[in-house]
Amino acid sequence: MGLEALVLTDCKAGRKARKDARLTAGVFVCSLVFLLGLSGCASLFPQTAQLRGGLPEGMPEQVELKQVPFFPQVEYQCGPAALATTLAASGAKITPDQLVPQVYLPERKGSLQVEMLAAARRHGMVSYLLAPRFEDLLREISAGNPVIVLYDQSPVGGWHYAVAIGYDYERGNLILRSGETERQQLSFPLHELMWMRSGYWAMVALPPERIAATADEARWLSAVAALERAGDAASARTAYASFLKRWPQSISASIGLANTHHALGELRQAENVLRQAALRQPDSAIVLNNLAQTLSDQNRDDEALPVIERAAAVAGPHAAAVDETRQAILGRLAAKRKN
Amino acid sequence: MKSTFASVFVRLLIVLMAWTPYQFAQAGMIGTDQVVPSSQSADRGAVLSFLSRGDVAGQLQSFGLDASTAKDRVAAMTDEEVRYLAGRISSAPAGGSDAGAILLIIIIVAVVWWAWKR
Repeated sequence: MGLEALVLTDCKAGRKARKDARLTAGVFVCSLVFLLGLSGCASLFPQTAQLRGGLPEGMPEQVELKQVPFFPQVEYQCGPAALATTLAASGAKITPDQLVPQVYLPERKGSLQVEMLAAARRHGMVSYLLAPRFEDLLREISAGNPVIVLYDQSPVGGWHYAVAIGYDYERGNLILRSGETERQQLSFPLHELMWMRSGYWAMVALPPERIAATADEARWLSAVAALERAGDAASARTAYASFLKRWPQSISASIGLANTHHALGELRQAENVLRQAALRQPDSAIVLNNLAQTLSDQNRDDEALPVIERAAAVAGPHAAAVDETRQAILGRLAAKRKN
Repeated sequence: MKSTFASVFVRLLIVLMAWTPYQFAQAGMIGTDQVVPSSQSADRGAVLSFLSRGDVAGQLQSFGLDASTAKDRVAAMTDEEVRYLAGRISSAPAGGSDAGAILLIIIIVAVVWWAWKR
């Protein structure tokens, strides 16, 4: 019941478990050879089979992000260890111990996927769930971004978070910081077999000035908005600015950037961003409303009034909010005239 | 009775605490969540999210967190993530990964059997 039904990692990392894992790996490789010989059974590892056709153009055959730090996991805490590894690689000063109260569930001896994403935001990072594609995983690594992956190691172990930091295409190995192992090599098929059972779950956590190599515009914007929502306006501001460098046409990102400027009290910058956005999209009620509010906050209600009138002329789902702003501006103007 | 009352009361407090940060939107500014698709919080969504946040925070607490830690952790989630967790609480069957393990065992058995038969 409850969260128990969700994926939790118990990260058994004892010697025996690893020995068992190695044994199973051996059996796997044997069965692999047999099975592939038998039927060319690509459907067992569909993505590995796809990759066998060759790497996408421009990707190196061999990558290893050697500078990624290593935090051996303590007890069942592979979640905090994996997250600390990526956050520290992104420049945060952090240890797994500090992350335990942020991602670990003591009674369940594990960490939820959602919380892995959420906790990274609390350290000013943009956390992004990768598309469930092996190729995307390799792409992120070759772009210098360590990737947290979730494995289902059953029947020899439980759920386990590890950080992919490199690969060797020729040998067909993935290189990971995992549990108590600083440099684990995992064959592509075995990796896929354990990974696919988490629904190919993988995430990156990047500092706000960077954008994931495989980022999709809409989903990256959501990831930045999530950072803003988590309350880190300064990091979100940087992230929106980076977003606009890459996708300059996005009105939504401009609104986000202006909102973070506004939240940080940088009204002049918020105004500039909104004015540019209003030039690009003159009929956005949100842009006009927020511009009027920003002007009003700078005690320039005379300038704000025509802007909010324009917003009011645009019918739409935000009519109520616009009307509220308009009334407030009219009220302030009336009060000024009295004085 | 007393403990039922206490648990309802505690839950209500959690809900209120979890909700608090979002009540202080900047006056007059329309939030980014109104334009970014996945974090849309229309009125109905906001109410659902309001309930779900308390629900999820309560669940986290039952797994050994104290109230303020649970609240902080829920606060870092998006509405979508909260709804995902809350939705799972009521509907997810236990042990979602058994199919894979069974498949694995079948493969191993099949291979051993095949090798032995030859």
